[in-house]
Amino acid sequence: MKHIINLYESINSTARNNSDCPPVVLPEEIFFTISIVGVLENLMVLLTVIKNKNLQSPMYFFICSLAISDMLGSLYKILENILIMFRNMGYLEPQGSFETTADDVVDSLFILSLLGSICSLSVIAADRYITIFHALRYHRIVTPRRALVVLMVIWTCCMGSGITIVTFSHHVPTVIAFTALFPLMLAFILCLYLHMFLLARSHARRTSMLPRANMRGAVTLTVLLGVFIFCWAPFVLHVLLMTFCPADPYCACYMSLFQVNGVLIMCNAVIDPFIYAFRNPELRDAFKKMTFCNRF
Amino acid sequence: MSAQRLVSNGTTHQSASNSDYTWEYEYYEIGPVSFEGLKAHKYSIVIGFWIGLAVFVIFMFFVLTLLTKTGAPHQDNTESSEKRFRMNSFVSDFGRPMEPDKVFSRQGNEESRSLFHCYINEMDHLDKAKGSLQTTALDSEVQLQEAIRRSGQPEEELSRLMKFDIPNFVHTDQNSSFGEDDLLISEPPIVLENKPVAQTSHKDLD
Repeated sequence: MKHIINLYESINSTARNNSDCPPVVLPEEIFFTISIVGVLENLMVLLTVIKNKNLQSPMYFFICSLAISDMLGSLYKILENILIMFRNMGYLEPQGSFETTADDVVDSLFILSLLGSICSLSVIAADRYITIFHALRYHRIVTPRRALVVLMVIWTCCMGSGITIVTFSHHVPTVIAFTALFPLMLAFILCLYLHMFLLARSHARRTSMLPRANMRGAVTLTVLLGVFIFCWAPFVLHVLLMTFCPADPYCACYMSLFQVNGVLIMCNAVIDPFIYAFRNPELRDAFKKMTFCNRF
Repeated sequence: MSAQRLVSNGTTHQSASNSDYTWEYEYYEIGPVSFEGLKAHKYSIVIGFWIGLAVFVIFMFFVLTLLTKTGAPHQDNTESSEKRFRMNSFVSDFGRPMEPDKVFSRQGNEESRSLFHCYINEMDHLDKAKGSLQTTALDSEVQLQEAIRRSGQPEEELSRLMKFDIPNFVHTDQNSSFGEDDLLISEPPIVLENKPVAQTSHKDLD
C-alpha cells in the first residue's frame, strides 16, 4: 500500500522514459487466432462428451469443467478485443457507465475462468488420485451425482469470488488471497501426482519394468505440471508486482511484458485439451467417430 | 489489458483520441517511473523469474527420472518385453487416469489385461479386508476368460491368470446410471462389452 500512497505525493522525477521499458505490444491477430482456436478446441471436447452417452461419467465431467473454463478464458479475450475495437472506433465512451460495467463484467469473466481452470485441474488430480488409491471403492466415492454437485459448488464459489475480486480489486488482501491460491493449488496437485507416480514406480519395480516406461510417466507428469506453471505463474507474478511495486523500474520492466503473459494464459487454454481430454483414448475415439460421421 | 485495473488509482490514460484507429489497451498509468540509477539490468526480474521457473521444472523432471532409476528390477528373463509393455499403460498415461477404457473390449489388448492384473494385485494387498462389495466370482472369471480369449494370449499366460484370485471384484450393477458396455477398472459397476458374447464364451469354457 505504501507504494500506492507514495504515488499521490508529488514525485519529482523525470517523465517516464518510454524508450527504457516500452510495453511489448503483440499484434491483435495473435490474440484473436489463439482465442478462436481455444474456443473451438474446447467446444469440440464439450460436444464430444455431451453427444456420447458412454462418456458421461465423473471423470469426463471434470474434463468438461476444464474445457468450459478454458473456453471462458478465450471468450473473455475475444470480448475484450471487441470492446476495445468499439472504443477505438468511437462507438463507446472511455469512461461511460456502460463501458465500465462491461469492463467489470468482462474482468469478472476472466477471473472466473482463471479460478475455474485452477479448480478444475485440482479436481481432475483428486479424481485420478481416488481412482488409483481407492480403485475398488471409486464408484461409491465418486458418483456422477456427487461429481455434479462438487462442480456446481466449485463454479458457484468461483463466480462469487470472481465478482468479489473484481469489486474489491484495489484492496491488498484481495490480491494476496488471489495470488496465494495459485501456489496452494500447485502444491496440492503436485502432491497428488507425486504420490500417484510413486505408486506407479513401485509397481514397475515389482514387475521388472524397464526404466523407459517410468521415464514416460515422468515426462507426462512434468508436462502436466510444467504447462500449468509456465502458463499461470507469469500472470500471477504480474498481479503481485502490480500491487506491491508499481513504481519500481524493475517491476515496471516486468510489467511491460503483460501481453506476453496474457498470451501464455490463452495458450494454456489451447494446450489443455491435448494434455487432458485428447490423451484419453476413449474420448479421442469418440471424437474421431463424431467428426468422421459428420462428414457423411 | 483491462486486468490492469486491478490496481487502479483512478487515473486513466487515454493514449489515443477517439478518432484514431489504434489498437490500444486501456492502460492505467500508475505514474512516472524513473529509470535512473539502476544497479542491475532493467529486465533482471524477467530474466530471473524465467530462469527460476525453468530450473524448477527441470529439477522436478530430474527428481522424477531419478526416482525411476532407483528401483532395482526383478530378474525375470523370460517375459522381459511383454512385461515392459504391460506396465507402459499403467505408468505412462497419467493423462488417462488408470482407466483402461474398454478393458475387456473388442480390442482387449494385452496392456489392459495386464493393467487389470496389476490393479488387482495391488488392491488385493491393500483392500483384502474390505469385502463389503458384492462379488460374483463366476462373473469375474467369465470376464477374465473373455479377455484372455479376445486378446489371444498364449496358453501359459492363460493358465496363470485363471488361477488368479479376484476377491473384491465389483459385481455388475443393474441399476447403474451408465448401463454401458465399458468395462472400466476404476469405475465399477463393470459391465461387459457384449453380454450375449460373454454368456456364449462362458458356455464355451464350461
